[in-house]
Amino acid sequence: MSVLIDQTSRVLIQGIAGNFGKFSARDLKSYGTQVVAGVAQGREVKEVEGVPVYPDVRSACRETGANAIITYVPAVVAFDAVLDACDAGCKVVVYPGDGLPVQDAIEVRAAARANGAVIVGPNTPGVISPGKAKLGFMPSFCYTQGRLGVISRSGSLSYEACLRLTNAGIGQSTVIGIGGDPVKGLNAAEAVELLHNDADTDAILYLGEIGGNDEYAVARYAARAGAKPTAALIVGKAAPPGKKMGHAAAMVGSHADSHGAKVAALRAAGVRVADKLAGLAAAAQAALDAAKS
Amino acid sequence: MLLTESQSKDMLRAHGIAVPEGLLIRKPDQIKRWRGELPVAIKAQVASGGRGKAGGVLRANGVAEAQFAAKQLCDMKFGGEAPRALLVEPWVAHEREMYLAITIDVTAGGYVVLYSPKGGVEVENNAPLQYAFGSPRAFRAHALRKLLGEAEPDAGLRERLITLVRRMLYLATAADAMTVEINPLTVVDGKLIALDAKIVRDEAAAFRHADLAAEMEDARKREPKAMARALADNLMMVWLDGEVGLISGGAGMTMAAMDMIADAGAKPACFLDCSSNPTPAGYKLAFSILDSEPQVKAILFSIFGGGTQIDRVALTLHDVLKARKSKKPVVIRMNGTGREACDAYMKEVGLLNHDSLEAAVADVVQKAGAA
Repeated sequence: MSVLIDQTSRVLIQGIAGNFGKFSARDLKSYGTQVVAGVAQGREVKEVEGVPVYPDVRSACRETGANAIITYVPAVVAFDAVLDACDAGCKVVVYPGDGLPVQDAIEVRAAARANGAVIVGPNTPGVISPGKAKLGFMPSFCYTQGRLGVISRSGSLSYEACLRLTNAGIGQSTVIGIGGDPVKGLNAAEAVELLHNDADTDAILYLGEIGGNDEYAVARYAARAGAKPTAALIVGKAAPPGKKMGHAAAMVGSHADSHGAKVAALRAAGVRVADKLAGLAAAAQAALDAAKS
Repeated sequence: MLLTESQSKDMLRAHGIAVPEGLLIRKPDQIKRWRGELPVAIKAQVASGGRGKAGGVLRANGVAEAQFAAKQLCDMKFGGEAPRALLVEPWVAHEREMYLAITIDVTAGGYVVLYSPKGGVEVENNAPLQYAFGSPRAFRAHALRKLLGEAEPDAGLRERLITLVRRMLYLATAADAMTVEINPLTVVDGKLIALDAKIVRDEAAAFRHADLAAEMEDARKREPKAMARALADNLMMVWLDGEVGLISGGAGMTMAAMDMIADAGAKPACFLDCSSNPTPAGYKLAFSILDSEPQVKAILFSIFGGGTQIDRVALTLHDVLKARKSKKPVVIRMNGTGREACDAYMKEVGLLNHDSLEAAVADVVQKAGAA
């Protein structure tokens, strides 16, 4: 068993009739993930890429047993789309879009929790359990099955990191893109708990950045008794203070936001922090080795 | 978007929160219009922190003194920014300075209340009390009351603080504010008054606030020309003043490339993330901006695409580079979905698609140094 998704997951794509929805349907199917249904508000279509299209999430879930959703709709309607998914009883929803207002992210998160569901995102490439299932649009060739759980605030950095891991012979259990926004459906503290409780994960790699306090949550986890060995890379060392680095949450406002403060806190908690990208695979391997001993 | 003090106070006032009655002036001699009490506080209006410590607030006892102080402030800069205006307010004699804010916290999944009985310019030295509740609908006055009981012995003041937090929360919800901070907050004749305020509004919510959209447009116009062009076309750009141009995709990879350039002993010219506009127009603009900046000696184009299919990026880049006039060296590193097609497209424009980011950074740093 992996976390959030596995080979039994039955995927529904919201916004399947758009260009990106079509691309993703083909991409997920070619990875062997079961794409069983689509929803396409505002479009009169019955089928896209061989996938039946339903008028709403509830009827789609009832007809097809869909239990995991990826939502490709613009930020202005994302709140309503995710509520549709939660009200239908779906327990895993990935919202990859960026530009979701923070108020909406707060309400989406609260609605999901009230329904016992998990929202992954916004601003994420999704989740992949290599060799089992994919609920996102990360480049599949970067990943290989293994026992390292990965959490990342950045999509592009997670592709680069996982390709390096794969090339170094380090496979991944589940790679969770928690996203770069200030309020997340699944934050680092919660993602770490999922991997902590996953029997297929021996060690954890966290890919973080400046700004926000997710890194401190990871440090608190690593310091506690019985925590799985953890490695990390924090980017944004060269970023100047007071400037937003693309991600809405990536900004050094106070000392605690800075690269130096975060690396120090993680190291003090026993996390193996790579100084640079080139040291990432070695740090991850050290965490896996520590799990064996 | 960080608002100025006077913009922030206008929003507080509109939500029933007491602030001193001030006058906003654009030029020092407009201070003659002041009809309020003396002495006055004259405050530089900038959207950056640390103004108090930097001497951006002056006290004046009479009109002549006020005019002199106003001229002085207009000639100063705060975090590189010249004051857009001055706020003139009656000098409020006060004893207490408290800190009160609501702000976004990722671990709380939404808002937290921060309160410190000792506020003012040194507030960062005292960790505030924190009440995390997430959704505005989950805010509970009784939970905050319990917490304030530890720090605030005056029961009447506690209740006024709770009422104030409620209003700040209404404001945050209605205006899509991520932070509403009052520092210092003081008590005059039993009444809470916000002496200074800072509001950060959520730029992602501009589609439902015409005033915020207009404010962002104004902010773009204040940026240097190259920045303004990038931001207007939805490229995420921060100017860093180095010699190695960087065109990238995704915030994390852009920062990773910046860090690697810095580790190689060079300085990145910019943070430039094209992932919000991965189109021919977007990439063309990115090159045009960096080509026209003389201090940029070489350009690294580094993209690891997932949803941004990299074969399409390579074709676009091929066309952009063919039409490009500048002779500045360009170094390429592309990988991601559809990567098989990249090398051939780059070969057609005489460029090597580097295997690793390390190799590409070494190449671009060497070329920037040689130029």
